[in-house]
Amino acid sequence: MRGPIVLGIETSCDETAIGIVAGRTLLANVIASSVEEHARFGGVVPEIASRAHLEAIQPALAQALKDAGLTIRDIDAVAVTAGPGLIGALLVGTSTAAGLALGLGRPIYAVNHLAAHISVDYLTHSNPVEPTIALLVSGGHSSLLKIDDITHSITKLGATMDDAAGEAFDKIARIMDLGFPGGPAIDRSARDGNPTAIDFPRGLTTSEDWKTRPYDFSFSGLKTAVARYLEATPNYAKADVAASFQEAVVDVLLQKALAACKESGIDRLVIAGGVAANSRLRHLAIERCERAKIALAIPEPALCTDNGAMVASLGALMVAAGRPASPLAFDASSSMAVETVSF
Amino acid sequence: MTVSLVIDTSTSRTIVGITRGTEVLWEGFHDGATDHGNAVADLVKKAMTQGVNPDRVVVGMGPGPFTGLRVGIAFARAFAAARSLPVIGICSLDAIQVDKSEYTVAIDARRKEIYWARYKDGVRVEGPAVNFPADVDGYILDLYPDVARLVALSDSQNEVEPFYLRRPDAIATADRS
Repeated sequence: MRGPIVLGIETSCDETAIGIVAGRTLLANVIASSVEEHARFGGVVPEIASRAHLEAIQPALAQALKDAGLTIRDIDAVAVTAGPGLIGALLVGTSTAAGLALGLGRPIYAVNHLAAHISVDYLTHSNPVEPTIALLVSGGHSSLLKIDDITHSITKLGATMDDAAGEAFDKIARIMDLGFPGGPAIDRSARDGNPTAIDFPRGLTTSEDWKTRPYDFSFSGLKTAVARYLEATPNYAKADVAASFQEAVVDVLLQKALAACKESGIDRLVIAGGVAANSRLRHLAIERCERAKIALAIPEPALCTDNGAMVASLGALMVAAGRPASPLAFDASSSMAVETVSF
Repeated sequence: MTVSLVIDTSTSRTIVGITRGTEVLWEGFHDGATDHGNAVADLVKKAMTQGVNPDRVVVGMGPGPFTGLRVGIAFARAFAAARSLPVIGICSLDAIQVDKSEYTVAIDARRKEIYWARYKDGVRVEGPAVNFPADVDGYILDLYPDVARLVALSDSQNEVEPFYLRRPDAIATADRS
C-alpha cells in the first residue's frame, strides 16, 4: 500500500540533498547547504559547491536512512537530478546514484530538476492533479508549463527571456546590501514596506506583449528601473523599495499564470521552485486564485527550495506509472530541457 | 584472500579493476577527459560480471582534474555504502609504476601546470604538488596509475580527502575591482 521506497538525490546547485519516499509518503528529507560558503562571493561558486557536495553527500545519505528508519537495502529504486544545473555539482549526485544503484542492483531514474520541483506537490495530494498549469520560479528558472503527465508529458508555454525571478531577487538584494541569497532577504525587508510606494515596471505586459508572448517573462527592465531609482533617491526607504520590487515580480508572475489557466481552460495551478517560498507570492496567489476559482497548490516552503524529497517523489511517480528506468550510464546535462522529464 | 574493486579517475583515463590479494583478475579502462561519469558506471558494471564479490573498494584520491576525480570518489563511496564495504583512498601519483630507484612522476593539471611527486626507494619524498613544468626537474609525464599498485598501497595508506592542491577559483564581492 505504501508504494515503492525511492531514494532521491539532488546536487544541481548548492544544496546537497537526500530524500526518501514510500510512494507518496515522505519518510526523510535531509538538506546540507553550502550557501554560507558562497555568501561572500555574492553568488554560488561552482567549485566550492562541488567540493561541498562530495563532503556532505555520504553523511546526508546516512542521516536520511536513519530518519526514515531504513537500511540501504530497503531502497527499491534510486532517483537523481540529471539536470539542469552546474555540471560539476550534478556529477557528484549522478555518480553517487550510479554507485548506489549498481551496488544495490536496483534501477536508477535520472530525472529533470524542474519536473521534480513540481512533482513534490504530489506528495500532498491523494488524487491526480493533472492536467495542471505550473508556474516554476527559482534562482535559475522561470517558466510557465502545462503538465499533462508529470512523468512524461510537459509542455513549455513560456519562460524568462533574461533573468530568472530568483536571480532578479539576488541582484537587487546585492545592490541594496541586503545579503545573499536575495529572495529571503527581500521578503524580510519587504514586510515593513509599502508595495505600492513605487510603481516599478511589469515586464512584457504591454498589449502587444500579451498578443505575441503572453507567457514569457522579462526582469531585466525591472532590475534597471530599481537600480536607477536607488541612484536617484539617496535616502530611499529600503523596505518600500523591497516591497515595491517584490510586488512587481509577483504581480507579473501571477498575471501570466492566471492568464495561462484561463486561456487553456485548466482550472488548476501549481506554483513550485525556490521563489514559491516567497511569502508575498503565496499570499497574493491564494487571493487571486480564489477570485478566479482556480484550485491552487503550493508545496510548503521547506519543499519549495531544492531538496531530495522532490527527486524521490518524481522517481516514485515514474515507478508507479511503469516508466522505464534510465541506463546506468547517462550524461548529466547542465541545460536539460524542461520537456525532458527523464533520460 | 581479499577481493578489491579498484577505481581511479584522476587522469583522463578512467581505470577500473578487480583483484584478489595482489592478483589482478580483471581490468579495464576508457580514455576521455570528460567521460568519467559514464565510463566508471560501464566499467564497474563489466567488472561485476566477473563473478566475484568485492570485500572492499580501493579508490584513487588524486591529485587530478577536480570534476573527473570526484566522479570516481563519489561512485566508489556510494558503491561501498550500498554493500557496507570499507573504502581505502590512495594518492594516485603513488600508484604510477616506474622501474627506477629515484624518479619524479607528473600528470596534466590543466592551465599549463602539472601535478607531480618525487620518489626514492619506493617512498614519496616530495609532493604531491602542483607547479608549472619549468619549475619541476626531470619528471616522467603521461603514465597512468596502475591497478595492482593501487591495491598494493592499500596496506599502508588510507587517504580520506581528495588531493585538490588548489583553492577554488572565486573572488569575494568585497575584493572585486
